[in-house]
Amino acid sequence: MKTDVVVIGSGISGLTAATLLALAGKDVVIVERRNLFGGSIRRFKRNGVGFDVGFHYTGCLGDGEILDLLWKRCGVRDRVEVDPVFPDGYDQYEFFGGNTVVRGYFSYARVGEELKSCFPGEKAGIDSYLREIRDVCSQVPFYNPDLPLAPFLRGYKSRPRPLASFLDSVTTDPELRSVLAAPAFLYGVPLNQCSLETHALVAHGYYSGAYTVKGGGQTVVDGFLAALEKAGAKLLSSSKAVSIRVDGDRVAGVEIEDGKCIACSDVIFSGHPSSVPGMVPDSVFRPAYRKRLLTLKNSLSMFAVFGTAEKDFRVQANGLNYYLLPEGGEMLSADDSTPPALRSMMIASTGGEWPEFKPSLRNGIIILRPGFWEDVKAFAVSRPGNRAAGYEKFKAEVGAEMVETAEKRWGHFTGRIEPFAVGTPLTFRDELAAPGGCVYGAMHCLDQFTPDVRTRLPGLYLAGQSTLMTGVVGASIGGMTAAGEIVGLEPFWESLRSWC
Amino acid sequence: MITDDELCRKVIEVLAQEFELDPEEMVPEATLYDDLGLDSLDAVDMVVVLEKTFGMKVTDEAALRSIRTVDDLMQFVIRLRAEQSRA
Ligand SMILES: Cc1cc2nc3c(=O)[nH]c(=O)nc-3n(C[C@H](O)[C@H](O)[C@H](O)COP(=O)(O)OP(=O)(O)OC[C@H]3O[C@@H](n4cnc5c(N)ncnc54)[C@H](O)[C@@H]3O)c2cc1C
Repeated sequence: MKTDVVVIGSGISGLTAATLLALAGKDVVIVERRNLFGGSIRRFKRNGVGFDVGFHYTGCLGDGEILDLLWKRCGVRDRVEVDPVFPDGYDQYEFFGGNTVVRGYFSYARVGEELKSCFPGEKAGIDSYLREIRDVCSQVPFYNPDLPLAPFLRGYKSRPRPLASFLDSVTTDPELRSVLAAPAFLYGVPLNQCSLETHALVAHGYYSGAYTVKGGGQTVVDGFLAALEKAGAKLLSSSKAVSIRVDGDRVAGVEIEDGKCIACSDVIFSGHPSSVPGMVPDSVFRPAYRKRLLTLKNSLSMFAVFGTAEKDFRVQANGLNYYLLPEGGEMLSADDSTPPALRSMMIASTGGEWPEFKPSLRNGIIILRPGFWEDVKAFAVSRPGNRAAGYEKFKAEVGAEMVETAEKRWGHFTGRIEPFAVGTPLTFRDELAAPGGCVYGAMHCLDQFTPDVRTRLPGLYLAGQSTLMTGVVGASIGGMTAAGEIVGLEPFWESLRSWC
Repeated sequence: MITDDELCRKVIEVLAQEFELDPEEMVPEATLYDDLGLDSLDAVDMVVVLEKTFGMKVTDEAALRSIRTVDDLMQFVIRLRAEQSRA
């Protein structure tokens, strides 16, 4: 088989890159190791209920914002029904013992008002926090498409600033501090390692308006699959890429586990970058770069309970997601020494728009809690269907405790919760091909340079959440940038901007 | 604390290894980009290697960017170490 570009991985970044390239006239083949496409945003079904794993809400879908631009250019925007959950929508923050309840509105104006009414002594600090988040993002082309792209990607970047000391400079109130730091849940970095710059990129999306998609991540995946088919791209499932062929000093093809080889002149790898050194001849990368990819520090993992609630969450509750924060503590604990029961937790309703639902099974919910690889390390040498002894018991206990805590806290709008499945860092490791079960890829944090989209091997590009930014928006931007590098970055960015 | 000369020798040794360079070619006037074949993509790896090996923190990226030759790099590392051991 022969093509122009092979895109490895069919998560949102791979789908975005592949569609943009196909529309730019390239022959594209996507190879995906799993039997279904979509990576983290694919839905799975259990007992007739559809569950979203990696897509609950996103920012940047307002008219002309980056995800809106990309989905329009890809022909996906018309295939999905977007629901803006603002200006009245919010996430609710509560604390383990205390009575403070704070609504994190998806709007700068409303979240500002809310924070000031909950923390009346902290007005100046709240203003300077929100101003700083906005200022940082106004310099970033993905948030300000009038700016050129290349100078941002290639240009001088000053070292990131610690979020913790910035928060110290705006407030001494531990609860306010926790609420301001809360978006860290959406990029998986403990506060002591958070950078103000990454925080701003994620928090800005959140304070500028959140959106859900009817039918969840699967409708986005289906939209891309339809667009790819229309553009003539090929997709191969159950096809794990095992090596990248190099001829002379350039990429020449991709070998699949089953022995097939696809000849091509460009490759985009959208999985975790630590797999890349094992896929190319040793001589391709300098030892320094190889080591950097192999020793990337990863974002946190999660424990997840997928189940149903007796009551319809979306009718009974006004908030979108509900967060429980440790008393005066951090949204994400620094390490596994904090027992799971004392870590933060989040509950969200998941989908429910599949036509075949039986009414009694409609109220799908997901409960998430930060997890560390160390929590499950004892069971590491095992695969799905063949887990080490004691794992099932451990998993059941963690799940039961999460359900109990959720019912105690949110039972008034969920009623009884019936768990169907529990995910742990091991599950995420094996399902998402994510080292250590990291749910947001390589950690975007202080003291780590995540890899650039370009690599030293001509024709090989990295995309995905581990490169520029995490989340659905971040991974899409990675995919877009990889496609742009192949067809010419700045003209590509210009044409995208002028699309609408 | 090792002398500046020893520090420079160590820098050469580590960079030669991590970037597969020939130490013989790493003379003071050799340019990193033209003579040694490093490029802008290697700059970040260079920072990572210097920080990990010598426990220093490269914060003055403007100065880093003005480095052209092996000698520029040596002066940069020497200055950095002096500043950070004083702090
Ligand atoms: C529990 C959870 C909740 C989340 N909630 C949100 C949210 O509400 N909003 C939000 O914006 N983000 C959320 N995220 C993050 C978001 O889902 C991810 O950042 C994003 O989907 C990552 O996309 P990606 O394309 O980079 O990677 P992935 O989706 O992981 O895709 C990579 C793909 O590559 C494939 N692959 C890897 N190696 C190979 C190989 N060698 N050969 C072939 N295929 C390969 C994998 O199988 C996978 O399909 C959440 C994530 C998780 C896990």
